[in-house]
Amino acid sequence: MNWRENLLNQMKRAVQATGGWGYARSRTSSSAPTVVACLALTARDSASVDVLRGLRFLASMQRSDGSVPIHPALSSPAWPTGLAVLAWIAAKTLAGGEFGDSVRAAVSWLLALEGVPFRSDRAVHGHDTTLVGWPWVKGTHSWVEPTAYALLALRAAGRADHPRAREAVRLLLDRQLPEGGWNYGNTKILGNTLRPFPGPTGVALCALQGETRQEEVASSVKYLERELQRIRAPMSLGWGLIGLNAWARPEHGGEPWLNESAARLERWEIDPLAASLLLLADGPGFATLLNRVPATHG
Amino acid sequence: MDKQAATNVIPSDVWRPSRREVIGAGGALLLGGGLAAALRYASKQERGLRADVFIGKAPTYQCDFERIISEGLETLGVNRDAVRGKRILLKPNLVETALGMAHINTNPAVVVGAAEAFRRLGAAEVLVAEGQGHRRDSRLVLDESGMGEAIERAKIPFVDLNHDDVVSVPNAGGWTKLPSLILPRTVVDADWIVSLPKLKTHHWAGVTCAMKNFFGVMPGIVYGWPKNVLHYLGIPESILDINATVKPTLAIVDGVVGMEGDGPIMGTPKDVGCVVIGRNLPAVDATCVRVMGLNPMGVKYLTEASGRLGPILSENIFQRGESLDSLQTAFTVLDIPHLHAVRGG
Repeated sequence: MNWRENLLNQMKRAVQATGGWGYARSRTSSSAPTVVACLALTARDSASVDVLRGLRFLASMQRSDGSVPIHPALSSPAWPTGLAVLAWIAAKTLAGGEFGDSVRAAVSWLLALEGVPFRSDRAVHGHDTTLVGWPWVKGTHSWVEPTAYALLALRAAGRADHPRAREAVRLLLDRQLPEGGWNYGNTKILGNTLRPFPGPTGVALCALQGETRQEEVASSVKYLERELQRIRAPMSLGWGLIGLNAWARPEHGGEPWLNESAARLERWEIDPLAASLLLLADGPGFATLLNRVPATHG
Repeated sequence: MDKQAATNVIPSDVWRPSRREVIGAGGALLLGGGLAAALRYASKQERGLRADVFIGKAPTYQCDFERIISEGLETLGVNRDAVRGKRILLKPNLVETALGMAHINTNPAVVVGAAEAFRRLGAAEVLVAEGQGHRRDSRLVLDESGMGEAIERAKIPFVDLNHDDVVSVPNAGGWTKLPSLILPRTVVDADWIVSLPKLKTHHWAGVTCAMKNFFGVMPGIVYGWPKNVLHYLGIPESILDINATVKPTLAIVDGVVGMEGDGPIMGTPKDVGCVVIGRNLPAVDATCVRVMGLNPMGVKYLTEASGRLGPILSENIFQRGESLDSLQTAFTVLDIPHLHAVRGG
């Protein structure tokens, strides 16, 4: 059995009675691992019954305001909402119009959610703190991952021209570190330039695909090309390769790295999020999803 | 929070406290020229409170940490009867990793030494758990810090607190307006919570040690990366609420090599050569601040904790093991106004 079959098998074993997946097989079903699992299976045209059940689990979690919280038992935060939009739309061929209302409500909620801007001195905070973007938690500042997820959702929903989507592109480019890469979303604090991380760099590059010029992100692509040589931690390798594939797919497609990383996963309790990210990083997996997204939806 | 109000708030790793916010009541009195008055205030607050703090000498990471920590536990009265059958959660500081920057994080040798000391005392289970504030990927942090290899070799399980199941617990502190804190199931289920921080300066809070280390039990899926909710609520206030609610049992501080300057991630290494252990965390942190040659009365979360969560005055802390004077090493602190109080005194 090759690593792909192994991971698909793990995901099959980890699906829960709710139809969702948890952050580990023994943990309760949550929206984020369920979304990423659905995306990974959709990209491979695999386990369509599981995908539909997962998407319905997400719809069952959706609140009347359109948000999809992290856990069924909590009303907030709801940062996975943007990713849920992507999963519902990407599976349109499979699901038909079943999730149209969910998508519309989620996009409406996303457009109403804003990060909190504030005035600051560039000597204290290196980034433009007046840009709005999206926060992890309502009532706080904007950060890289939630802004990237929202941008992906708006693009998928045919709202790439919305002013908030355009501002998201500006925000992500503003938060790019001077030597390339992104971290969670601070560039400089008190004059010190902070360090890039591979995961957020992959997320940001994925969201920016087709939204900016190659030279604007060239240093970040180089950073990932260098860093991924040594990284086998599944979440960072997965997002890193997804981002790299969006701009400069490595000649070997990341195959040896993914193989090693998948082998590591077998030593731990089944981790559906990590397994899904490795599958999405395999070849053009994530790009395939984005290409499937119809131009207008919502 | 409406946008108008929000523009008056400076959040983040991006939080910049007011003069009064950082230095607290004791510090404000101190800056106002009233050191004696500040001490009298704290002395009144701490009436009847006493805590033991052990300092062990540990010049390098090649030391036998199981022996040093066992000696400290014995000195503090932590014996087999207390530990037997307990599920013990060790919470190191693994905020983020960078090549050549091992002094950001708690050294694996200290963590493994602590685990072995508790196992020797009959703990039913010892685990390491962390919810890093900057890096979301625990596996990468474990790889790059060397912690993963060390705890795997010692057969100590790791729990990623950022992605654990969560439980809502009433806020036992009341310093912030939060009615409840959402904590990882693993933290709630543990019998003993042990803070294993690094001895570091902090560019907003002044210092980061045993109490601030508990930002890392707050799950990222709920509070974000960074845990920006806690910055908006106030870093000192959040530290106090988390400690009041989590009710940690013990702290074991990695003071072998600390960090000075622009801590907690960009500072420079500082050789100190000690491990500090205690059952009362404000007392441990106040002792550590003194080891750093700094002033506990200039650290807001400590002056607020004084009397409510423990003692911070040296007259109320019984020093065990090595003398503080023999290990005291002056840490540099950034020269910015809100940190002047921690340098002074």
